[in-house]
Amino acid sequence: MSQRDLVAELRAARVEAPPQVRERIRLIAAEAPAPPRRFTWRRALVVAVPVAAAVAAAVVLTRPSPHGQTSAVREQRLAHGAATRTRQPGALAVPSTPKRAVVVGESLSLRVTDISGSVKRAVQVAVSLGGYATSVHATTQGAQGSADLTLRVPRAHVQEAVTRLAQLGTITAEQLDVTDRQAGLNATDRLIARLQQQLAALREQHAGAARIAALTARIEALQRSEAATRRSAHYATIRLHLATPAPPVRARHHHGPLHGVGVALRWLGIGAVYALAVGVPVAAVLALLWLAARTLRRRREDALLSRR
Amino acid sequence: MTFQQAAEAHLDDVYGYLAWFTGDRFAAEELTSVTFERALRLWHRFDPARGSARTWLCQVARTVALDHFRSERRRLRREQLAAPPEAVDFRFAEGLSPDLEAALARLTAGEREVVALRVLLDLDAGSAARILGISPTNCTTRLNRALKKLQEALHVAA
Repeated sequence: MSQRDLVAELRAARVEAPPQVRERIRLIAAEAPAPPRRFTWRRALVVAVPVAAAVAAAVVLTRPSPHGQTSAVREQRLAHGAATRTRQPGALAVPSTPKRAVVVGESLSLRVTDISGSVKRAVQVAVSLGGYATSVHATTQGAQGSADLTLRVPRAHVQEAVTRLAQLGTITAEQLDVTDRQAGLNATDRLIARLQQQLAALREQHAGAARIAALTARIEALQRSEAATRRSAHYATIRLHLATPAPPVRARHHHGPLHGVGVALRWLGIGAVYALAVGVPVAAVLALLWLAARTLRRRREDALLSRR
Repeated sequence: MTFQQAAEAHLDDVYGYLAWFTGDRFAAEELTSVTFERALRLWHRFDPARGSARTWLCQVARTVALDHFRSERRRLRREQLAAPPEAVDFRFAEGLSPDLEAALARLTAGEREVVALRVLLDLDAGSAARILGISPTNCTTRLNRALKKLQEALHVAA
């Protein structure tokens, strides 16, 4: 018999399940519940992909790019933020103690647009309040420049001076130093009074002219020192730093609305490289284990099915 | 396709496959029931996109049959210690010549399985290979060897 005839005879054979088996299977099949709505990855992807795309597009299009703004915009923001401070110039208030000897030092940094004009107005402010400028250093280069001024203003008008100076531009930094020298002056007064008593006593005793002259010189030195301290306390020192805004630096690259997508893809690439570096050896080991298990299973099956 | 429809359409295929595979009608009847009970439990996993219901049911039937063979092997080992097993007289199908029945009985279970799948159920090489867990080429090789063995047995009988 040829192989074709053999196959034809085998195919002609009919194998039908016995009726009792058919009935049993019918009973089993009757227990089958109604088919539930099947979850498939394809159905899930049909929903998930458009949703993810919409979310990604919304994020990319609405997210402001941090590199897309020019420095000019940032400067405007700073100026806006600083303007709120300009409305309260000299937030550090100078304590009002006119009868005590207090040394006041104020440092003020301002951002101005015109250096030379601001320097002139600052000096005018000091002079109008009875003060004067002890030093002025100004440097300009094109539209850029800076200036450092040291102003002496009567302590009674220092708050007003700071307020008027702050109006020259926007405050970028402010520092106030207050030192009370009254205690030292009181001690000096007491010392001078004691020395003067000693001097009077020496004169009554007709002491040596040299001792009297030395004591007199010490008293005069103390009086000069006291006078100097009172003078310095009479005037407050205002160190003013003026500077023009830094030139707006254009961003090197103007990022488009799809910049976020590029960044995301870059990070995805980095993640993929790491995943490959870790995943390939693990996958290789798993594949080897799977192959070994499959070979073992097939051998067992072959051994099982090799009997008649 | 519902489970009822699949069971109705492929009951004879599953029974024939198991009958030829095991070479035991009573075992085939029992295993057919077990197969459909298990298939009912696993029906939610059946994906028509990955293969026909017949192929899937045959895969379930094969798992059931392999479990049966394993338990049978253990049982035979125990019984052989007491008494040798009796030979089972079985007709594989209606319409086969006695010589062909005898030749089929001389095949191993693995050889009868591939003949059942490729010839009796007329599955293509890919579907049969998927059930067997081997490549289509390997499946075709196994079929050719089994048919050659059948031919030789028939030749000897003639």
